[in-house]
Amino acid sequence: MAYKTVKKDAPGRGEVDILAETYEAGEPTGEEAGRWRQKLESRDEKLKYLKSGERYWYSDDWFGSEKRKNPA
Amino acid sequence: MPEEKQAKSIDKATLEMLDKAAEEGIATVFDRAEKMKPCPIGADGSCCKNCAMGPCRVPLAKGKEETPEEKKARVGVCGATAETISARNFARMIAAGSASHSDHGRRVIEAFKLMAEGKTKDFEIKDEQKLLKLALDMGVEIGNRSNNEIALDIANKCENEFGKQEGELLFIKNAPIKRQEIWRNLGVVPRGIDREIVELMHRTHMGVDQDYRNLMLQGTRAALADGWGGSMIATEIQDCMFGTPSPVLSEINLGVLKEDMVNLVIHGHEPALAEMLAVVSQEPEMVKYAESKGAKGINLAGMCCTANEILMRHGVPIAGNFLQQELAIVTGALDAMVVDVQCIMQGIKEVASCFHTKIITTDNRAKMTGAEYMAFDEHNPKESARAIVRAAIDNYTKRGKNVRIPNIKQPLIAGFSHETISYLLGGLFRASYRPLNDNIINGRIRGLAGVVGCNNARTTHDSGHIAMIKELIKNDVLVLSTGCGAMAAAKAGLMVPEAAKKYCGEGLAEICETVGIPPVLHMGACVDNSRILIAATAVVKDGGLGDDISDLPAAGAAPEWMSEKAIAIGQYFVASGVYTVFGTTWPTSGSKEFTNHLFKDMEEMYGGKWDFQPDPVQAAQLMIAHIDKKRKALGIDKARERVLYDMDMRRELEG
Repeated sequence: MAYKTVKKDAPGRGEVDILAETYEAGEPTGEEAGRWRQKLESRDEKLKYLKSGERYWYSDDWFGSEKRKNPA
Repeated sequence: MPEEKQAKSIDKATLEMLDKAAEEGIATVFDRAEKMKPCPIGADGSCCKNCAMGPCRVPLAKGKEETPEEKKARVGVCGATAETISARNFARMIAAGSASHSDHGRRVIEAFKLMAEGKTKDFEIKDEQKLLKLALDMGVEIGNRSNNEIALDIANKCENEFGKQEGELLFIKNAPIKRQEIWRNLGVVPRGIDREIVELMHRTHMGVDQDYRNLMLQGTRAALADGWGGSMIATEIQDCMFGTPSPVLSEINLGVLKEDMVNLVIHGHEPALAEMLAVVSQEPEMVKYAESKGAKGINLAGMCCTANEILMRHGVPIAGNFLQQELAIVTGALDAMVVDVQCIMQGIKEVASCFHTKIITTDNRAKMTGAEYMAFDEHNPKESARAIVRAAIDNYTKRGKNVRIPNIKQPLIAGFSHETISYLLGGLFRASYRPLNDNIINGRIRGLAGVVGCNNARTTHDSGHIAMIKELIKNDVLVLSTGCGAMAAAKAGLMVPEAAKKYCGEGLAEICETVGIPPVLHMGACVDNSRILIAATAVVKDGGLGDDISDLPAAGAAPEWMSEKAIAIGQYFVASGVYTVFGTTWPTSGSKEFTNHLFKDMEEMYGGKWDFQPDPVQAAQLMIAHIDKKRKALGIDKARERVLYDMDMRRELEG
């Protein structure tokens, strides 16, 4: 894929090329356009996703505000 | 000086149809609101009609301080004080609101159970992942069991949530741990959904609970049974059966109606029939039948929260929000308005009598004198839907000449369920709220606000929502929205990513542009406020912003509320730790003491509290001030310079 770039002023470096947008222009059409949950096919994949994507509730080894590695 | 007339709406399509209604001599909700002023005693919650010794009126004198003697004299025939009367009225609103959402949930479970038992062939599990998630939530065995076996166990567990007499509702454990403890300490964890609502009705009966603090503990319990019970069950089971929403592009406003097609609007709150209508209206036989009557096809559009349900899952366009229901008929182009439950004004029947429009009720809990009743049979949902579509097609030939559809509509992107937000921020392999939390911490996003709720004919249609939301996003507050408030935002062009550049502060605009999201996220119907609770919990659990919802730089509002459901929603948000501001009118103003309990004491009890501010911009400022207070408490109120540590600095730190 050929990436588009744009020129921007960088502090102390003058004009530089930086990566521009990588999305396709236009409007998404059709009911299926934004659907992402169908990417997971098997039951195992779905259960695995619950443990990662919904780890706040369903993972045993997730550390967040309520379960800290080093308790305060 | 004559009193200045309040503008009826800020929405041009609405104003155009109001002109048409006036030309044709048709009265609408806007005219009735002008003619009938609200009863000032009832509006303040100072009227008790809970027994036949009354109704008793105990109004608070305006414009002067009440003396202790005057306060003592302000009691009903039974001696009930203004505080008790006000609290009873407020609590009964919670009971009715919680009952409405929860009965919606119950009806969804009934359809889900029929599906699981194989007694209806037209419903299916569209989102297996949500089914598995529910199985984990409810302790249902997964193993190698079929989806329907798992679903049947889930349906039975959900049914049990309504009739349970003891213990705790199952979804309570999805709240932050600290929040659960607050509820347990106050004794407000709901035992069973029906039990809490029944007990609240009992306690507001004449001569029962006469301590407003004690009454509101049960009021809170019933409200939590809605937000973390009935509403959450409705949302989750609907996702399972009809699909968890993901981003979808659609259109909104009366301009979605089409002059050369059969126009069928589905209005109300429950999605089961609407889902079937969305499917059968595209069937070739149905389209052919419409063509045989001279139409170019069938145009299905939604109204109110049924609209939000099928918008979120199918991208079906929305004709309008609550105050536009009569105006869709005034276009003269509506061949059938199909209604289910909640927020359906009886006025639509009278307006429909001026046109050819058929009003079709479909739910045995919500019939309307003079309207045609076509029962929605959940055993055979597609056949029920086909009969309704055929009735609309047959009516197309009766359309009169007085058709005028406003050429006004807006694109919008909806479908931001909690799951989708997490996916958009982290992708499939590391879905996460981390980028959101990081950007709240670094200040690009100042905070989060839920702007939800109804329209109210006592305030300029949509104006409160739009003024408030624009003020919030201008100040870098990301807005989550549901219900008629979400529709108002969409009509004003705030639900497309391009809105970020136009209306947002620099920080929020940068985030929206990077992720590709609008600054106002449509999260669904009013039962889907449960999605906001879960999203807030995910933010807490991700870490860095405290360990409870009340620690978050977040606030909620319903600037144009009108329904009892809004009060139930407000109370479960307050009890979940959210500062919640309502506009338009406040139903406990007749008792300063009880109002103080809601506006002050509740903050000490729950970390969240109620507030009232009819000016939407000032209300937004109150929300921003609260967000800033929370940022300060978290120590993220000042921008900090980021220092990249080299190895020497790290060694120094470790030493």
